[in-house]
Amino acid sequence: MKLYKFFLLLVFVTAVSFKIAQPKPWVVPDKYLKMTNPVKSDATSLSDGKQLWLQHCSSCHGKSGKGDGPKAAQLKTLPHDLSKADIQSQPDGAFFYKTSEGREDMPSFKKKIPDQEDIWSIVNYIRTLKK
Amino acid sequence: MKNYKIKLLIYTVKFFLLLLIAGNLFAQDSTEEAPVIKKVKPVKNTFGGVFLIDNQTVMVPIKGSMQMEIQHRFGTVNNGSKDLFGIFAPANIRLGMSYVPVKNLFIGAGVVKEKMQVDLDAKYAIIQQTPGKYPVSISYFGNVVIDTRNKSNFRYSVDRFSYFDQLMIARKVTESFSAQAGLGFSWMNNVEAYVDAEGKIQRKMNNYHFNASLLGRYKISPKSAIIAGYEQPLTQHTTNNPHPNICFGFETITSSHTFQVFAGNYYSIIPQNNSFFNQNDYTKGQFVIGFNITRIWNF
Repeated sequence: MKLYKFFLLLVFVTAVSFKIAQPKPWVVPDKYLKMTNPVKSDATSLSDGKQLWLQHCSSCHGKSGKGDGPKAAQLKTLPHDLSKADIQSQPDGAFFYKTSEGREDMPSFKKKIPDQEDIWSIVNYIRTLKK
Repeated sequence: MKNYKIKLLIYTVKFFLLLLIAGNLFAQDSTEEAPVIKKVKPVKNTFGGVFLIDNQTVMVPIKGSMQMEIQHRFGTVNNGSKDLFGIFAPANIRLGMSYVPVKNLFIGAGVVKEKMQVDLDAKYAIIQQTPGKYPVSISYFGNVVIDTRNKSNFRYSVDRFSYFDQLMIARKVTESFSAQAGLGFSWMNNVEAYVDAEGKIQRKMNNYHFNASLLGRYKISPKSAIIAGYEQPLTQHTTNNPHPNICFGFETITSSHTFQVFAGNYYSIIPQNNSFFNQNDYTKGQFVIGFNITRIWNF
């Protein structure tokens, strides 16, 4: 009987953990999906993007974008591995929208990083994280 | 000793000017190789935050930012392990809040344990270093400080007030290195006096005091930097002339925080008190350990 209860508890904990770990789909408005990145991915943009990434993003997303930053474990929703091909297949505008607007654990950066070109530079840097 | 101090000040100013010129030369080389095609914008992050140890920097956060400030200065390290190098000695503390209501204007207020002072501050970024336009950033900082101790400490109410004004010029010389020079003016409504041999009342110090400061920051990683500063009193008083301040430390920043841990000669946190009354002498190893923490929100 005790083993049965323990099994039920294990199933429950696993189910809850699974729920926590799975991010909900994030719908990006068409306007952003069609946006083209106005900032050329040159050395200056990548340097700016890296600096901003390390200052604002790496504590959750990790230095290399794998979602393994020191604060990631405290989040309700685990960050995606940004180096994976399915994430990298999103258009630049989607990354721009998500970084600017945020949702739940992911903060909005449009006030903290008011220059849109800086956010586009972060998008350029995210592209370098691809495996 | 006085000549030595003046020479030291001249050399440090010359050194700073050389850095500015060198920075300009490097900037010209790099633009020749890569012509600028984007709209020119002011340089970002000349310093990691609004403070650098005991001084303000030229930095003003973006409009709508609110900042909480926690500053600590422990006792002098001279007692060694007796009081854990001053860390267990009575500390001076400042708690403050600041806000940027309009672009380039930073206003704030704080309370300080020493003399139960309340400070009201304002900083305005007059010019921001912009490639091809402005080689340096220039900001003004001013404050009014009120000593809120019991009225028995003062003859007149106005004796509670003191003021500080500072003009700061800074340049982000390279992506890693930034430097700042500043000229400060302090005014104390009330200064101590003594009765001389002829029975006349004489001031121990002038009501005013000028000082010059030099600050530097060298980034050792995208989020960490070595920071240092030097402050030289310029005004000579009858007695109690203050000592210069040498300070150095480590800074680390996050998305919303700035942490600075350092050692220096200044204990007071309030700039005019430091400039006027610092009796910690670096030649005698009278350094205090301190830290600054800021937390910023964007609204």
